[in-house]
Amino acid sequence: MAKFLEYVPGNSFLHRMNPSVKLICAVLFAIACFATSNLAFLLVLLVGALVLAASCGLGRETAGLCRAVFAFSLILAVVILLTTPHGVPLVPLPWGFIGTGSLLAALTVIVRLMAAAIPLFLVFYVTKMNDITNSAVKQLHVPYKYAFTFTSTVHFIPVFMNDMAGIMEAQTARGVEFDGSLVKKVRLMIPLCVPLLVSSVRKTNSAAIAAEVRGFNLRTRESGYKDYPLGAGDWGALAVCVLVLAAAIALAALGL
Amino acid sequence: MIEFKEFSFRYREGEAPVVRDITLSIPDGCFVGITGAAGSGKSTLTYAINGIIPHCYPGDFYGSVTVEGLDTVEASLTDISRVVGSVCQDIDSQMVSTVVEDEILYGLENFAVPKDEIPARVDEALGAMGIADLRDRTIDSLSGGQKQKVAVASVIALQPRVLVLDEPTAELDPASSVAVFDLLARYAREHGTTVVVVEQKIALLSDYADMLVIVDGGRIRFADTPDAVLAHSDELLALGVNVPRATTLMNALGAQGLYGGPTVRNVAGAAAALKEVLA
Repeated sequence: MAKFLEYVPGNSFLHRMNPSVKLICAVLFAIACFATSNLAFLLVLLVGALVLAASCGLGRETAGLCRAVFAFSLILAVVILLTTPHGVPLVPLPWGFIGTGSLLAALTVIVRLMAAAIPLFLVFYVTKMNDITNSAVKQLHVPYKYAFTFTSTVHFIPVFMNDMAGIMEAQTARGVEFDGSLVKKVRLMIPLCVPLLVSSVRKTNSAAIAAEVRGFNLRTRESGYKDYPLGAGDWGALAVCVLVLAAAIALAALGL
Repeated sequence: MIEFKEFSFRYREGEAPVVRDITLSIPDGCFVGITGAAGSGKSTLTYAINGIIPHCYPGDFYGSVTVEGLDTVEASLTDISRVVGSVCQDIDSQMVSTVVEDEILYGLENFAVPKDEIPARVDEALGAMGIADLRDRTIDSLSGGQKQKVAVASVIALQPRVLVLDEPTAELDPASSVAVFDLLARYAREHGTTVVVVEQKIALLSDYADMLVIVDGGRIRFADTPDAVLAHSDELLALGVNVPRATTLMNALGAQGLYGGPTVRNVAGAAAALKEVLA
């Protein structure tokens, strides 16, 4: 199983797509998820996203992502359940009630977040970091410094996660028990953020220096080696995503 | 030519200079090994060559450091990086790409190397480091030694006239360390590149370096051929420099008048010398 947000080599349709198109499609897909509240449509989008993930052999990674997004969206869902008294009352609360509408709204949030997150995360699993940077610079005219900063940030996420795991292992070896409730785990992890922060700042500084001594400041839009031509598949994917967005907006406009 | 003239440097957050009164000339094409105890100022010397000080780590800079005629204080870091290729100590932080080929391309793209030259440069760099088969591998899947070779390859693809490496074998086993030094030395010989390596493994350095520089407390204590430097094994040990035991043994025999031959650097040399003495 690949590490979080780390490129997984492959030759699937998604792997072969133009990096900028992948990024644009993922963003359009995410906007579509937020444009509509139609649960059936969102479920179709979620299934579509899961099929995409399976098509490039990233089922396990996506399942892991879904678990993480589910845990996060569950918090939002609980808040919605407790604060949105809609539909037929099911459970009375001192300040209102939990109704069928509340359940639907909570479920919609969970499905929406999962459907929106999957394509965005897939982009990073199926695209080399340099291709995202170079394509964004060449085709989307994003300034190189911003594109590089963005991809470097993504690049460092697994590095910092590994560092945190290392720090936790070292603490475990010294008798700290991270097993137990989430609250206990968080309480034990907070002091570890200081060494993580120190090592992160050091690593970031080293990376910046290493990039600078390899001519980072000389980079221009034209100096990228690879070209990223758009193929028929890219245009097709763009068209599908635009249609999905249009359908989501139409459903919202019709109040469905 | 790299020239230090009465160079001293104190980091802005430091209380005392880390290096003091350094005067040293490194001729073109020379393979120089810098060693010394931890905190002696070895890395600071490499930072002075590649311009990291004072450009990235500010402080009080005295004297001058020139590399191929460029004053490293007056020249911009970018201008210095056209001449000096650097491999940092923290290899993982140096990697900006997810795939080996992209890592090699990174510097070439930055320096706007003509596109028709790039494939040959990438092939040559990968070939020189013996990692042509790793071209499409993800960086994350590589061993420490392989990452080290990728880091060196990504720098030599830029064809720098000076190559600066800070502890390139720190995380490598002895066999991988020798492999990296073999490849480096061969590349430097073939291209006339000046190489400056900071390294703790003095025995390894002695086998490859034309000049060995021993730093202690921010000052150069010895700067000579490996044989000449290793002849001072007692002083080196007192400075915290780990001299090969074979060298220490033969130097001790020499001090007793039992051996008068050249400095011995390894067990094989000591065995041959002892056989000669006992014959």
